[in-house]
Amino acid sequence: MALPARGPVGADLALSVNGRRVTVHVTPDRSLLDVIREGLGLTGTKRVCNEGDCGACTVLVDGRAVYSCITLAMACEGKSIETIEGISQNGELHPVQQAFIDHDAYQCGFCTPGQVMSLVGLMRRTPSPTEEDVKRAVTGNLCRCGAYPNIIAAGVAAAKKKAK
Amino acid sequence: MSLFSYTKPRALGDALKLLRNGTQAIAGGTDLVTLVRHGLARPERLVDLTGIDGLRGWTREKGQGIRIGALTPLAELEMSNELAKILPIVPQSLRDAATPQLRNMGTVGGNLLQRNRCWYFRDEGVPCWLKGGERCFAIDGENRYHAIVGTHDCWMVSPSDLAPALIACDAEIDLRSSAGSRKMKLVDLFVAPRGRERREHALRSGELITQVRIPEKALERRGTYLKAMERKAWSFAIVSVAASAKVRDGKASDVRVVLGGVAPVPWRVVAAEKQLDGTSLDDNACLGAADALLADATPLRDNGYKVTLAREMIRRALRSLVT
Amino acid sequence: MAERIRVVKSRDEFEGEIYESLAVVEGTDLPPRPAGEERPEIGKPRARIDGVQRVTGRATYTHDVVLPGMIHAAVLRSPYARARVRAIDASKALAIPGVRDVIHRFNAPKAAFRGEDTIFRDEVRFIGDEVAAVAADTVGAAHAALAAISVDYEILPHVVDLEEAMSEKAPKLEEDGNVIESGALKRGDMRRAFKEAEATVEATYRTSTQLHNSLETHGAVASWDGEVLTVWESTQHVFGVREGLRNALNLPLTKIRVICDYMGGGFGSKGGVGKYTIIAAILSMRTNAPVRCILTRREENLAAGNRSATLQTLKLAGKDGRVTAVEHTSWSNSGQAKWVANPTGPTNTLYDFPNLQTKSYRVVTNAGSLSAFRAPGYVEGTFALESAIDELADAMGVDPLALRRKHAGKESDPRTGKRYTLNRTLDCYTIGAREIGWSRRKIGGMRGSTPHRRRGLGMASQIWGGGGGPPAYATVHFNADGTVVLRAGTQDIGTGTRTVLAQICADELGIELRNVSVRIGDTEGPYGPISAGSLTLASVGPAVRLAAKDARDQFLAAAAGVLEVRKTELRLERGHVVSKGARTPISEITKKLENNTVIGKGSRWPNPDQLSIKTFGAHFAQVEVDVRTGEIFVEKIVAVHDIGRIVNPMTAASQVQGGVIQALGFALSEERIVDRGLGRVMNANLEWYKIPTVRDVPEIVVRFTDRPDRKANNLGSKGLGEPPIIPAAAAVANAVANATGARVRHLPMTRARVLEAIANMEASS
Repeated sequence: MALPARGPVGADLALSVNGRRVTVHVTPDRSLLDVIREGLGLTGTKRVCNEGDCGACTVLVDGRAVYSCITLAMACEGKSIETIEGISQNGELHPVQQAFIDHDAYQCGFCTPGQVMSLVGLMRRTPSPTEEDVKRAVTGNLCRCGAYPNIIAAGVAAAKKKAK
Repeated sequence: MSLFSYTKPRALGDALKLLRNGTQAIAGGTDLVTLVRHGLARPERLVDLTGIDGLRGWTREKGQGIRIGALTPLAELEMSNELAKILPIVPQSLRDAATPQLRNMGTVGGNLLQRNRCWYFRDEGVPCWLKGGERCFAIDGENRYHAIVGTHDCWMVSPSDLAPALIACDAEIDLRSSAGSRKMKLVDLFVAPRGRERREHALRSGELITQVRIPEKALERRGTYLKAMERKAWSFAIVSVAASAKVRDGKASDVRVVLGGVAPVPWRVVAAEKQLDGTSLDDNACLGAADALLADATPLRDNGYKVTLAREMIRRALRSLVT
Repeated sequence: MAERIRVVKSRDEFEGEIYESLAVVEGTDLPPRPAGEERPEIGKPRARIDGVQRVTGRATYTHDVVLPGMIHAAVLRSPYARARVRAIDASKALAIPGVRDVIHRFNAPKAAFRGEDTIFRDEVRFIGDEVAAVAADTVGAAHAALAAISVDYEILPHVVDLEEAMSEKAPKLEEDGNVIESGALKRGDMRRAFKEAEATVEATYRTSTQLHNSLETHGAVASWDGEVLTVWESTQHVFGVREGLRNALNLPLTKIRVICDYMGGGFGSKGGVGKYTIIAAILSMRTNAPVRCILTRREENLAAGNRSATLQTLKLAGKDGRVTAVEHTSWSNSGQAKWVANPTGPTNTLYDFPNLQTKSYRVVTNAGSLSAFRAPGYVEGTFALESAIDELADAMGVDPLALRRKHAGKESDPRTGKRYTLNRTLDCYTIGAREIGWSRRKIGGMRGSTPHRRRGLGMASQIWGGGGGPPAYATVHFNADGTVVLRAGTQDIGTGTRTVLAQICADELGIELRNVSVRIGDTEGPYGPISAGSLTLASVGPAVRLAAKDARDQFLAAAAGVLEVRKTELRLERGHVVSKGARTPISEITKKLENNTVIGKGSRWPNPDQLSIKTFGAHFAQVEVDVRTGEIFVEKIVAVHDIGRIVNPMTAASQVQGGVIQALGFALSEERIVDRGLGRVMNANLEWYKIPTVRDVPEIVVRFTDRPDRKANNLGSKGLGEPPIIPAAAAVANAVANATGARVRHLPMTRARVLEAIANMEASS
């Protein structure tokens, strides 16, 4: 059986965002990024290229890193979405976030939420990530300021902490 | 208001019924979403295939080769330790394909059916031949990444990393439509746009790729995939080479060499492969095959380097099968 | 108090231009602290004080500003490289539901912008030039409206390519032609030097247009409340945007407030008001709603500036192991900009060549205009000059570093004759040569890690300004709980300005870093300069130090009253007021003072009149080159910089790494590609415009000479924004030439260019 068809005028869509059930009205052409930034006001996730070329809009969908700018919102119905706003718990920073601060792993900071989400995705899936795993995880996240050496250092430090 | 509607069927049969003119199938969406946004695809309805069970994942049955569901995410093939053992060329081809996020999103079927990356084609402001215009702007325009061989009316290049690797494994595909099913060799899916055929794929309207099959025999061959990029990651291939061969007692047989990034289709010259049969894949033999593959090359103003590059990469890929 | 105010004339020289300004200062400046003095904050690696905001997504960038009732602007841009706008019909656009307003050259108010009196030109001059703007309730409606505007264009002949524009056949874009001289310098006797030379080299170099691609595109949110215009803008200069809006809109400064809290990169391109700012402001005033005007990535790459492509010819003469003459001529594709970043700048000052002749030309084209891009001109020029010096060294059979040592590290500026405050170039050479292992360097390169790879070493030097100067102001006030607020009219463009200013403040005050809060990026604060030209720290930092000192003095005077002791017995140390043996936490004093407070203020003093303040450095590169595939592998960069005292070694190292990586993009992969016939940029995106990824990063070793430049300012610190992007491309090019014997004279060094250079070399040998 097909799920109900969604006409061009759109429909209410149920999503889980950062552990919260939300319902938003969307049309079929809206991206997940549109919903996150404009629909839900979660502006930590950035729009940079809007065509899957840069990684600034990276979020986790069912635990996997994706580009939200080219993900259709409707395709996320019933799925669990995590954004940069949702990864620190009880006011405590995620180890990747703390490592970014400790290693100065940003300059302008515009790519930072995407970089962090890619690494959080890595930490979820990989028991003890290596430096190679860290580089691989952020290969799809461009940083124009060139914070890469410190991003790698932060990723490695967070991975070590995880391994302990 | 959106220009299209959206449906997510649960069963393949339902999806096939929905696929008719004005409807387009979508899976990972990594290509289609941008095509729609730039007006390069104008579907009235999108049919999201990702709700369909049974088309995801890969299996191997003894003696039956490998079957890969069309909806398998690229990441699943790339990260599989098991596949790396029995068919390393496939994970290898995906390692430098796009990015982790795109490999999480993109599927096997979508990768094979992605449209080309020619910047004249992708620019909605340029009425290029492939989009119904009068001429190919690359011929006397900016063509450093364009085709050097196998062109007719359009100088775009086949962008997929996976396709050359799978073709080097003699992959076949299963196609389904509401009217029935058929099979074809993967290599035949790709067509160089010419004359009235202003398209890159031989898929018929309403058809879907459901799975890719790799014959058992291909698993006996060694394979490798090399890719040249303009930076160290996240680039479509300037030139890529998928090569495979059966090697026994230092002699090669059953050789395949497939190039990406040089022609409007994954580029293969059977005669070039045949002439390697029985050789030890020494430098001379490899370069001879490379010359045969590139014999018809007619580079444009800025892409002559691809001939040099492809020649050396073919040599290296083939040499690596015996060293 | 007022009697302590003085006006001091300040003169700064850059590229031979003398900039005179007045500095309004108070009291006396502080002497810089001696080298080697251990300080509680200065010289200490400190994590950014705004780190939590940055890693949690809570940092608010201009893109993230959402105001009640905010509507959206979109800009219609010329699809032609050159055309006259004869008529515009916006009636269909205005009929679309949700569309509030359309402005264009036939209905928009006049608005002064960079020497023109309108933001919508009669003759549009590049693809991307502004034609009209729409305000609508949604982004979707705004874009639908753009498509519905009908424009009658008269298409005119265009030229976009630098060398085509220089030819006689090109359409003349300005009355005097397309090639305009913009700078020249001559010294010595060129003819004689070439006549007496033992060796000469002559070569032509090309660099490509580099696009900034700041991840946050240019944009503004403007809100007119009927009286005051408040603008949030991603900018390197809030006061510059305010001034630009004043000129465009004729509003008094009291009616304009500009805010930039966080910004997502600028690299020189966000130096002042943009047409998008003025569009947002005009539309906000016309619709009485806040208007958001944010460029798309494509617009960013068409209309937000670039580093000019250049064509440069160099002719060098050498004798007795020295360079005896240099002739350097440069042409830059400036688009429609009225200025040019002279690539001959470094040639004029980096070395003490006895005979010199340089000329720089601006070439007008119908491609998007240049804007400042991190060390504009110097990156392009250093590549050509330093490549040519290596070519001369090869021709003379001398070590290229030894050749440079003869001409670098001098006590005075060869152009003006002024003495440098400090020049430690030779130390940079020594440190760099040691770190890279320069003694291993062989003529003809070394064997690489695989059969077809060759390994090579190369280096290049750097000169740049970075001394900063007035005017810049800061205030420091104590809160009732003993915490402190530092205000300055600067902005943090990603370098860590907030953090280093807090360190300077805490260090001087004697309080803990966590108790300093920094408020910047707002024209309601005291004036601060543009964050560009590597001048932020050296301009604002000394003012902050003086403000902190003033606040400390006043606070101790108040504390003396509270504690009933003599002020001279008190000092501030780690958050405590210390008198003979007794330590009282600041908060105890402020508690007693309640809401009585002190406000310290400080200003930047002028630079020393008869001295030249410059930054120096050198980069060393080790590369491998696959000579069959043309692939370059940069293995290691050693970056050594002489910028005086380092305030925060951690953020300073980040700056250097970032500069090196941007330079590697320029050297290896970044190039705006324009179809000449169409006049279109074919890679106005992040797919085919290739900025470095994490995989493109080599090992980067960062070293500083780290000695205070005590004559420069009261911190002894100079700027670091630009120095690290200047020499890396040249160092890599020299390493590639050393490795392969083939000289690539065209950046970026794509596979096509590397393979061509190798083929040419093989053909000629």
